Amino acid sequence: MSKEQYESNILSSSYLENTRLQTMDNQIPMSQGRKREKAAEILARDGPNALTPPKSTPEIIKFLKQMVGGFSILLWVGALLCWIAFGIQVAQGVASAFDNLYLGVVLALVVILTGIFAYYQEAKSTNIMASFSKMIPQQALVIRDGEKREVSAEQLVVGDMVEIKGGDRIPADIRLIFAQGCKVDNSSLTGESEPQSRSCDFTHENPLETKNIAFYSTTCLEGTATGMVINTGDQTIIGRIASLASGVGNEKTPIAIEIEHFVHIVAGVAVSIGVLFFIIAVSMKYKVLDSIIFLIGIIVANVPEGLLATVTVSLSLTAKRMAKKNCLVKNLEAVETLGSTSIICSDKTGTLTQNRMTVAHLWFDDQIYSADTSEEQTTQSFDQSSQSWAALSKVVTLCNRAEFKPGQENVPIMKRVVVGDASETALLKFAEVILGDVMGIRKRNRKLAEIPFNSTNKFQLSIHETEDPNDKRFLMVMKGAPERILERCSTIMINGEEQPLDRERAEAFQTAYMELGGLGERVLGFCHLYLPEDEFPDTYPFDTDSMNFPTSNLCFVGLLSMIDPPRSTVPDAVSKCRSAGIKVIMVTGDHPITAKAIAKSVGIISANSETVEDIAKRLNVPVEQVNKEDARAAVINGMELKDMTTEQLDEILINHSEIVFARTSPQQKLIIVEGCQRQDAVVAVTGDGVNDSPALKKADIGIAMGIAGSDAAKNAADMILLDDNFASIVTGVEEGRLIFDNLKKTIAYTLTKNIAELCPFLIYIIASVPLPIGTITILFIDLGTDIIPSVALAYEKAESDIMNRRPRHKKKDRLVNEQLAVYSYLQIGIIQSIGAFLAYFTVYAEQGWLPNTLLGLRVNWEDDYYNDIEDSYGQEWTRYQRTYLQWTGYTAFFVSITIQQVADLIIRKTRRNSIFQQGLLRNKVIWVGIVSQIAIALILSYGLGSVTALNFTPLRVQYWFVAMPYAILIWVYDEIRKLFIRQYPGSWWDKNMYY
Amino acid sequence: MSKEEKKPFSQTMAEWRQFVYNPRSGEFLGRTAKSWGLILLFYLVFYGFLAALFTFTMWVMLQTLSGDIPKYRDRIRSPGLMISPKPVTALEFYFNKSDSQSYAEYVSTLKQFLKSYDDSKQSKNIACTAGKLFEQNEDRAIKQACQFNRTKLGSCSGVEDDTFGYAKGTPCVLVKMNRIIGLKPEGEPHIECLPKEEGKVQITYFPDGGMIDLMYFPYYGKKLHADYLQPLVAVQLAIISNRTKEEVTIECKIMGSPNLKNEDDRDKFLGRISFKIQMSE
Repeated sequence: MSKEQYESNILSSSYLENTRLQTMDNQIPMSQGRKREKAAEILARDGPNALTPPKSTPEIIKFLKQMVGGFSILLWVGALLCWIAFGIQVAQGVASAFDNLYLGVVLALVVILTGIFAYYQEAKSTNIMASFSKMIPQQALVIRDGEKREVSAEQLVVGDMVEIKGGDRIPADIRLIFAQGCKVDNSSLTGESEPQSRSCDFTHENPLETKNIAFYSTTCLEGTATGMVINTGDQTIIGRIASLASGVGNEKTPIAIEIEHFVHIVAGVAVSIGVLFFIIAVSMKYKVLDSIIFLIGIIVANVPEGLLATVTVSLSLTAKRMAKKNCLVKNLEAVETLGSTSIICSDKTGTLTQNRMTVAHLWFDDQIYSADTSEEQTTQSFDQSSQSWAALSKVVTLCNRAEFKPGQENVPIMKRVVVGDASETALLKFAEVILGDVMGIRKRNRKLAEIPFNSTNKFQLSIHETEDPNDKRFLMVMKGAPERILERCSTIMINGEEQPLDRERAEAFQTAYMELGGLGERVLGFCHLYLPEDEFPDTYPFDTDSMNFPTSNLCFVGLLSMIDPPRSTVPDAVSKCRSAGIKVIMVTGDHPITAKAIAKSVGIISANSETVEDIAKRLNVPVEQVNKEDARAAVINGMELKDMTTEQLDEILINHSEIVFARTSPQQKLIIVEGCQRQDAVVAVTGDGVNDSPALKKADIGIAMGIAGSDAAKNAADMILLDDNFASIVTGVEEGRLIFDNLKKTIAYTLTKNIAELCPFLIYIIASVPLPIGTITILFIDLGTDIIPSVALAYEKAESDIMNRRPRHKKKDRLVNEQLAVYSYLQIGIIQSIGAFLAYFTVYAEQGWLPNTLLGLRVNWEDDYYNDIEDSYGQEWTRYQRTYLQWTGYTAFFVSITIQQVADLIIRKTRRNSIFQQGLLRNKVIWVGIVSQIAIALILSYGLGSVTALNFTPLRVQYWFVAMPYAILIWVYDEIRKLFIRQYPGSWWDKNMYY
Repeated sequence: MSKEEKKPFSQTMAEWRQFVYNPRSGEFLGRTAKSWGLILLFYLVFYGFLAALFTFTMWVMLQTLSGDIPKYRDRIRSPGLMISPKPVTALEFYFNKSDSQSYAEYVSTLKQFLKSYDDSKQSKNIACTAGKLFEQNEDRAIKQACQFNRTKLGSCSGVEDDTFGYAKGTPCVLVKMNRIIGLKPEGEPHIECLPKEEGKVQITYFPDGGMIDLMYFPYYGKKLHADYLQPLVAVQLAIISNRTKEEVTIECKIMGSPNLKNEDDRDKFLGRISFKIQMSE
C-alpha cells in the first residue's frame, strides 16, 4: 500500500468535510460553547467519543472452530462411523453392538474435551490482554452553556469547545481557536518525536500537516489552547487508523502453517491407509460393516489425539517462560514465530535507546571528553581537574530551568522524575551526578533574572549572584545553539584562563562542533560573563525585556553534546541477532545522522561497513559512480523512500545487509514490512504508536512496547515487550527457536507409536488373527501414557547454540519433514510394532494358542456362539474366555508400546548429539514423564484391570519385559544413527536420517 | 491483500508431473535412480535384520514352551458347555419333522460327530473304573483313553434311529463339556436341562441322569492324549405339541460338582448353555 492510498484511506472526504464545515460554522460562540440539549442530541446521533473496540469473534464461533480444527474432523468421521455401525448392528441384533456406541461417544468426548482445552488456553491468553485495554476514564474541560465543566471525554460531541493545557491528553480531534505556546507530542500518531507547536493558523490543506488541528490521544506538552471538537470517536484520525489496522489481514503464523502441514500429512496417511484397507477388506470378502469398523480402528490408530493439546501446552509453557523474560505473548503461536524471524524492523527510540537525552561528550580546553552514557551511571570519569570544567559545570548547573520533583532523595539520580524538557533534564542529571545537590548550588547562587529559550534567539540566559560572599560581581550564564553562542563571544576559556577567541580557536571550535554533530548528537554551547561590580551594583535592576546588560563579548566556556544513548544490552543483542542470521533493520523518524550514529554504536551498521555515501566521500567521487554492491550498509531517508518503486525497495533490501530507514513516517513502516515479506522473510516489527498498528498487524509478528506503547499498538501486536528493550526480543527469539526444535521432538515421539497402533489393525485384517490392540486401549496411550512425556520434551535444553544458526527457511525447514515422518513411521515405529507383537504372541502362546493357530482364526474367534474353539493343545474355549485372553493381549501390547515409548522418549531428547552428551538427568521433567507413563500403565493394568469396559487385565509381571530387547534396540540404533550423522555430515546418511 | 494466490490448475499438474518424473535431473518421485537404489537397499537390510531378529526372539520364546501342555491355564479354570449339532446362526434349531431336508444338516453333523465314538475307533481305548478319576503316571509318554460307547447314548446314539429322533419330533441334542487340560471335576457332575416353559417338553437324558463319569478326567492334552474322547450327554426332547408350530427354550447346566461353575455373570456359556428349538409339522 502506498502512502497516498494509506492517507486517502484515513482522510476520507467525510473527515475533510467535517473539518471545513466547522471552520465556517460560526454559530457556536467560543465563550458560550454548545447548548447542553444540543450536545445531548448530537451525542445520541454520533455515539460516545470513544474508539469502538475491534470486532472480536463471538465466543461460540471460537469454540466451534476448535471443535472442527485439526484432527477433529477425522475423529468426528470416526465417531459417526461408529454410530452407523452401532445402528446397523443393533438392527442385526449383534450382542457387541454397544461397544461401537461407546467408542463413538468416547471419540466425540475426545474431540470435545481437547476442543475445550484448546479454547480454554486461547481464552487464557486473551485475558492477559483484557487487562491492558482497561483505560482510566479521561476527563475533558468543556465549555457548555457558557460555563466550564469537567466532563468525561466520552461525552464530547462535534462542536464542543474544549480547553487543554500542558500535560493533558487531547480528548478528540480539535481545531484550535486559541493557542498560547502550545506544543503537542504527535509521536504516537505520526512518529515525529519532536514536540510540534500548535497555533490557530491554517497552514496546510492536509489536516495531518496543518498547525491548527490537534489529534485525539496525542498529548499536549506545554502551553494552553482552546479548540472546537471537529471529530469524535471512530471518526477521529486515530479511530480511522485503528479500523484500518483491523482491516489488514492477519497472516497465518508460521507455526500454524506448520501444524496445518503436519495435520495434512497425518490425515493424508490416515485416510489413504484407511481407504486402502477398506478396499482390501471388502475385496477379501469381509462384510462392509466389518470393513467400516476396521476403518474406524485405522483412523483412531493414525490420529495422534493428544498431540495438538500437547503442542498447545508446550507453547504456553514457553510463553510463560518468555513472559518472565519480559516478552508477553498474546497469541500462543507467536511464540514460535519469533524463533523463525529473519528480519527485525526495530524502532530506535526507546527500543534500541534508553529514550532519554544523556550527555555524551564534552568539549573544553580544546579537547573532547566522553561521558558515561550507561543506564546506571553514578560517577563520571573524565578529567575534572581543569578550571575550565569548574566554570563549565557552573554554567551547566545555573543556566537550567529543569528541577527534580521533590521527595526523590532516595531514588537513583538517573531514575528521578524531572520537570523540564529533555535536554535540560539531561544536563541537570549530568550535573547532579558529578557535583551533587544541584538544587543547593542554585540556591546559593540566587537567580536574579532569566530569559528562557526561544526559537528566535536560540539561547537561554540567566544572571546570578555568586556563592562567594567576597565576590560581589554577578555572573551571567548562557547556553544555546553553539554557533549563536560563539557569535556572542570574544574570549574563550582554556585551562581556566580567558584567552582571546582568535581564528585558530574558532576553527578548533568548528572542528569539534562538526565532529560532535557528525555523531548525531545535539550540541549546546555554553558561555558566561562576570559583570563588573562597578557597572552592576547590588541593586542593579535587571530587565529581561530591554536587556539592560551585555549579551556580547562573552567568554566561551565549552560545548556539551547529548544523545539518546543506546541501551547497554542492545549491542550484544544485535550481535547475537547477526550470528543468528537475523537482519536488524532500524526504522526511525529521527534524523539520518542521529539514526546512523545509533545504528553504528549498537552494531546495526557494523564498524567496517560503509554506505554508498561513505564510499563516495572516501573515494571522492559522486555518489552515482559508486558500485552499489560494495556498500553493505544503507541509510535511506523517508523522502527517498517516498519516491521509490517497489522494485527499487526490493533491490535495496536484497543488496544491503545493514539498513537504516530514517525520517520515515509510520505508514512507510508498512511499506517496508511488505517489502521484507516479499523476500520471503519472517518479519518482526516493533512499534508503539497508534499509527504503527497497521504495520504491526501486517508483520508476521508485531511487537508492541509495553511501557511506551499505545493501546492500539498493543491491540494490533502479537507480543508485548514489557520492558521496551530490544534485547528481550533476542531472548524471545532463542525461546522460539528452542520450542520449534522441541516441538519436532514431541511430534516425532508422538508419531512413532502410531505405527505400533496401526500395524495391529493391518495384521488383523490381512492375517485374520485375534485383534492385538483395541481402539479404547489406543486412546489410553494417546491421551494417557503419552501426554506428560511429550510435554516434557518442551523442557529439553538446546543441543547446540541455536543462536548460531540461520533462521529456518519458511518453506524448506518444515516442522515435520520427510525424514522425520519416515524415520518415525518406517524405522522406530516398525521396531516398536515388532516388539509389541512379540509380547502379543507370547501372551497367546503361553496360554495355549501358538502363532500358527492364530492365523486365519478371526472369524471363529469372534463368533459369539462358537464356544468350543480348540487351541493348540486341544483345550476348548468359550467366547468370553477368548475375549478375556484378547484383553490380556491388548494389555500386553499396550504395556509393550509404553515400555518402548520410554526408549523413544529418551532418544528424542536429541536429534544429533548423543544422549550422553546431552545428559540423561539434566531434564528432570523427562523423568517425571517416564515415571508417569509407567505409573499410568500400572494403574490401568492392575488398578482398573477389573473394569470390563476399559478392556485391561492385570498382567503377569514378565510380560512387562518382553519388549525390553526392542526398547534397547531402539536406543542403540538411534545412538548409531546420531553417531553417523555427527561423523559424516553431509553424507547420504545425514541427508536421509537427520530430521 | 492476500499474498498466496491460487496457482492455476495446469501449473499444479505440471508440478506433479515434474515430481513423478523429472527428466532434467532424472528424478522419479523426488529421487534419482541411484538414490532410490540406496534407500531400497537400506530398507532391505534394515527390515531383513528386523525380520531375523523377530524370528529369533519368537524362536526363543517358543523354546520356553512345552509341546504337551500350555504354560498357563489360568484363563480357563472352568469349562464351558456346548451342544452338537450347532446351528449355523445363533443357537436356534428350526425344523419340520415331516420335511427331512429341514433337519438333514443336524443329522449329518451328529453322524459326523459320533463317528469318532464308533466301536471300531475305540479298540485302543480301555475300559476304566467308573466313578473314579483316571490319573495316569507322569512318565507315560502316551496316555490311555477310556472307552465311551455310543450305545451309552441310547436312542440318541443313532444306531437304531438314524434321524436321531428328528423325524418323530423327539430331537436329540448332544451336550458336551469343553476339554481343559488337567481338569478334575469334584462330586458327581451331571447335566441338567430345564425348559423355560414348564410342561411343554419332556426331557430324557442318556446316560441316565445326564451323568458325566469322572473316569474321563483328567485330560492330558492333544499330544499326549491323542485318543481321548470327551464324555457326552444326549438330551432327547419330546416336545408336547398341540399346535403346528412350537418353540421351546432349553437351558442346560452342569450340576453336582463344586468346582465346575455354572453361574458366571459375564460368561453365558461357562457350565451352562441355552438354546432354542422350533419344531413345526
